[in-house]
Amino acid sequence: MSIVPIIEFDRVSKIYPSGSGPITALHEVSLGIAAGEFIALIGPSGCGKTTLMRLIGDLEQPSAGTVRVKAKSPDQARRDRDYGIVFQSPVLYAWRTICKNVELPLELMGYPRQQRHERAMSLLRLVGLGDFSQAYPHQLSGGMQQRAAIARALSFAPSILLMDEPFGALDEITRERLQLELLSIWAESDPRPTVIFVTHSIPEAVFLADRVIVLSPRPGRVQRIIEVNVPRPRAFETREDPRFFTLLTEVRECLRAMEG
Amino acid sequence: MKAVMTIPQPFDQPGQRADWWRAIWPAVLTFVLGIGLWEGVVGFFALPLYLLPAPSQILLTFLAQPGYLLSIGAVTFGNAFAGCVFGCGLGVLTAIICVRWPLIAEGLVPLAVAASAVPIIALSPLMSLWLGSISPASKIAVVAVMTFFPTLVSVYKGLISPRADALQLMHSYAAAQRAIFLKLRVPAALPFFFNALRVCTTLSMIGAVVAEFFGGPQNALGVYIKTQAGVLRTREAWSAILVACLYGLAFYVVVVLIERAVMPWNKHR
Repeated sequence: MSIVPIIEFDRVSKIYPSGSGPITALHEVSLGIAAGEFIALIGPSGCGKTTLMRLIGDLEQPSAGTVRVKAKSPDQARRDRDYGIVFQSPVLYAWRTICKNVELPLELMGYPRQQRHERAMSLLRLVGLGDFSQAYPHQLSGGMQQRAAIARALSFAPSILLMDEPFGALDEITRERLQLELLSIWAESDPRPTVIFVTHSIPEAVFLADRVIVLSPRPGRVQRIIEVNVPRPRAFETREDPRFFTLLTEVRECLRAMEG
Repeated sequence: MKAVMTIPQPFDQPGQRADWWRAIWPAVLTFVLGIGLWEGVVGFFALPLYLLPAPSQILLTFLAQPGYLLSIGAVTFGNAFAGCVFGCGLGVLTAIICVRWPLIAEGLVPLAVAASAVPIIALSPLMSLWLGSISPASKIAVVAVMTFFPTLVSVYKGLISPRADALQLMHSYAAAQRAIFLKLRVPAALPFFFNALRVCTTLSMIGAVVAEFFGGPQNALGVYIKTQAGVLRTREAWSAILVACLYGLAFYVVVVLIERAVMPWNKHR
């Protein structure tokens, strides 16, 4: 890529101490991600894909090498509120209504009341939760809660969206619908956030991403980067596109070759 | 994206009153049956008055001088309330200090857990010795010590209850420590706090009455119960016990009502 990357990894390693000696989660990973790209991180469990995402988000520090985000340290990027994060569980605060949950980051960032309410409501409508703004989290289904979490992550229009298996706990039907919804929200956002999407589902990775980064099992390295040359906007029919199948097979074989 | 959701609105609750009655009637029935059984047993075996008066006799004794009994109840309740405010207040403060300085928590919290299991009421005679047996200070102190430890333990647990991802979310917003405390830890601790408070209402009434057994002004429930029972005027003693129950229950109900008002999100749990 000729564009200056928004996220840059330069020989980044992450080593965790453990009872049976140090565990290398990531080993000398170097890669660049362009602004506005949708990246899927995939690999067998324990390959460090979540660690890689967390290093970007300043939730963990590299043991060696450097991570640069918008030419800054991840810590600085975090302080500049560049990150919206969606975890595997929705992490909605039980004591706040759905609307107040979405307002939380805006509240912390000092937006005036009226403005944050309007912003939260427009995002809730965008994710189809307009009628549920005054409900409490436990009154919603898992899929709806995760929608609210996405609305919250987007509320302050961060330039980078970090998603850690956000649909992992949902059933297949809800999951496919939310994938479509995520793509349309992403496409409508201006400017489009760069998305780092951690998943262990091959169809999910291929359906969503511009590029699928396949990580090898421990120690995690970038095994391959697969360009997804399926045109956007992607729709339900995309899953029946022969090119989609070809790419699925490619990712699957890449993952299987590593088991070897 | 237009997601079509067809699950019912969560706010419509037709038949909430019926649900409420459905939840409460077994307890009401049990209570009525229990009182009926008591009345029946006393009548059937013609138990002597000094051994066990019937509920109807207790009620009549109460109704003979309700003003006086309620007023001495108010004295005892006042001590219970003051002690509870001190004990719970200090418990909350100490819990906050423990969260702010984890080293203090490591030293203090295990001891507080142990202290919660100690019958602190046994301190009553000593408190009377130190603070004067007639003065309310000794009763308030007993109640304060009794309620301090459970509140400390419970609120501390509540303040550290937010899971790693809830804290990481705050971290990702670059939230200040103060904001993390006020917008995450405090609301997360509220259910724990009210749990402790409900336990403490009961504890404080017990503490105040029992503390008065070891001395106190004549116009106090514990002293009254002890004196009347001492001269086998059991109806009078029981009527005072009834008053203690009334104050204890009222205290409890008020706490529950406050809890519901403060934590509307907990209502449907």
